[in-house]
Amino acid sequence: MDFEMGPAVDALRTELRGLIDEHVPADFLGAFTSDPADLEVAQTFCRLLAARGLLCMAWPEEFGGQGSTPWQQTAVREEMWAHHEPRGAQYMGVNWVGPTIMRHGTREQQRDHLPPISQGEVIWCQGFSEPNAGSDLASLQTAARRDGDGWRVTGQKIWTSYATMAQWCFLLARTSKVEKKQQGLTIFLVPMSAPGIEVRPIATMLGPHHLNEVFLDDVWVTEADVLGTVGEGWRVVQEVLSFERVGIARYARCERLLQTAPRVLGDAWDDLPSELRGRWARMLTHCRRARLLAYRVIDLQSSGRVTPGDTAAYRIAVTRLDQEAAEVLMEIVAEVPSSGDNATRFRRAVEDHWRYAQASTVSSGSIEMQRILLARTMLAAPS
Amino acid sequence: MNIDLSHEAQEYGRLARRAFEAAGGDLLVQQAEQAPDGRAALVEPVFAELGAWDLDPRADADELEAAAALCRSAGYWAVPYPVAERLARPTDLDAAGLIVVGDTNPAGPVAGLDLAWVAVTLDGRRRLASPQPTTAPARTSAFVAPLALAPIEGEGGDDAGGGDHSADVALGLVLPCWTLLGMLDRAIDLTTQHVREREQFGQPLAGFQGVQFQLTEAEVERSGVEMLARYALWSVEAGRRDGVEDALALRMAALEAAECVLRVTHQLHGATGFCDETTLSWVSRYSQPLRRLPFGLSATRDHLTRRIGATGLAGLFGDGIGS
Repeated sequence: MDFEMGPAVDALRTELRGLIDEHVPADFLGAFTSDPADLEVAQTFCRLLAARGLLCMAWPEEFGGQGSTPWQQTAVREEMWAHHEPRGAQYMGVNWVGPTIMRHGTREQQRDHLPPISQGEVIWCQGFSEPNAGSDLASLQTAARRDGDGWRVTGQKIWTSYATMAQWCFLLARTSKVEKKQQGLTIFLVPMSAPGIEVRPIATMLGPHHLNEVFLDDVWVTEADVLGTVGEGWRVVQEVLSFERVGIARYARCERLLQTAPRVLGDAWDDLPSELRGRWARMLTHCRRARLLAYRVIDLQSSGRVTPGDTAAYRIAVTRLDQEAAEVLMEIVAEVPSSGDNATRFRRAVEDHWRYAQASTVSSGSIEMQRILLARTMLAAPS
Repeated sequence: MNIDLSHEAQEYGRLARRAFEAAGGDLLVQQAEQAPDGRAALVEPVFAELGAWDLDPRADADELEAAAALCRSAGYWAVPYPVAERLARPTDLDAAGLIVVGDTNPAGPVAGLDLAWVAVTLDGRRRLASPQPTTAPARTSAFVAPLALAPIEGEGGDDAGGGDHSADVALGLVLPCWTLLGMLDRAIDLTTQHVREREQFGQPLAGFQGVQFQLTEAEVERSGVEMLARYALWSVEAGRRDGVEDALALRMAALEAAECVLRVTHQLHGATGFCDETTLSWVSRYSQPLRRLPFGLSATRDHLTRRIGATGLAGLFGDGIGS
């Protein structure tokens, strides 16, 4: 066995950390704050990564990527999430919108959409969830009906991240009613500037710009905006969700914050209640556990042996970690000295993490759905 | 990156599991409990057939991984024998096995075995360990005997230190966790089978989401331990300086997982899980020495916390020892 990722990945990490040090302010807490400068940081950083070939290095060479190894991709995910995702909303375009268009898009769609994603110039949002279709996504009601040589889309999407700033929406809509609700669904690539689209931000504890409602009122889209085959969108969505399930390296941010704590507290660290330091050590172990479960999924994916249960087990472990680590960090923060830049930065980062962590067992497939997937794998008839 | 045991080690583990099954499987521990004096004789032929004591886990990675796979298979059948302790034997002393002990009440699952043992404490001090007679029946002691410790000639006395034997500590902590992992594998296998077959309210228990969710809770714990066990084994293989910290982190997670897995699997078995005719009750009882010795969950966490201090564990962002 060998748990070292090797010199190429180490060099990549060093390069990424150098770029972050140089181009991302130390107090950056993500692109989606009330300060527009944070969004600008993310957009500039994306263009920088793109210019260095680092934004889409996982993509095949024919689409402008480097065909990087799964472990290089893992290092990118870990470094970005640990440093509050300085790619902003771009990770969505890079991680799954682009790859999905590569796999299912027409040549024209690939030509139109992939270069802007790979250059970090476009933001996508995901139009999946609806007020009555969350975990039960196939029950969605947003409908697209044929109208001449195009489609008219009407309905409502909700919990749509980045919709206020997105230029495009990866939209799932019902195009026919058939007996099985997973059939008759179709993916549309919809420009957010299309007449009939209205975005209403939802104020949440996660912070501004995170969640929105999107209303679609007789929105016109062309036949050329259909991704893949009409009526077979569900299969594409399953692929997208599987990208998402392993996509966020939440353990990396947890570990970075936990490892920062003793440095911020300095000599005061030893004065913490021993029980709290014990919980801190336990959380570091759980960070390692979640990281290794992620590596197991990546390893199994590489050899085509992964099951939905493997990804679900990782997702359960990492989302629970996110919330438990947040609680421990909040207790530690209460002991942090009240002055000094480092102390202030750390306190803000932990508070941000705690708020964001509350959503981790809900977003991108709730923990209940993960348990159902894992149980199905465990209880499947023995082969 | 190569995060799995070698194919040879995995195959050896499968072979061992079949060999233990052929030798009696679940009956081994039951027979040993009925006739404690004969427990070694029950399983020694299997170990001989497997060439178990020819393995030298300290020699190279392949043999270490094979040893871990053997421990896991032994755990799967709750084999009533200190396999991990035998495999961890020091090669520089004339001893049949190595037992990691706590600072108080040193003990090990070695009752009735006429073998020479070496004990090592967390600070790396080694002593000769002699099992003391015990009147506790195997049914409640699970073959644990108190140990009398004596200095090793040339290694000094209690206060002399006697060199750094942290590699002994790491190996002696990691291999028993592989045995415990095998027990958790078994507990979950038994329970998935039980909930598929047992019907209540007109359907298998497996159909109830309340049952499914408990089972997934246990499986997440078990699969997490499996990965930490691989990592800690690699840490021993690679001779990392923080091998003991990695072993303690594994042990802490393994003990937490055991608590969860055995609580859930007992619960889902219902009253039948307590019956002697149900394998789970044997696995559960014979997991006790692994979970309590050399120290339990709280003490393990305490040792880990003190050893990593403010440095933390090696990882992506730790300045942990060795990272």
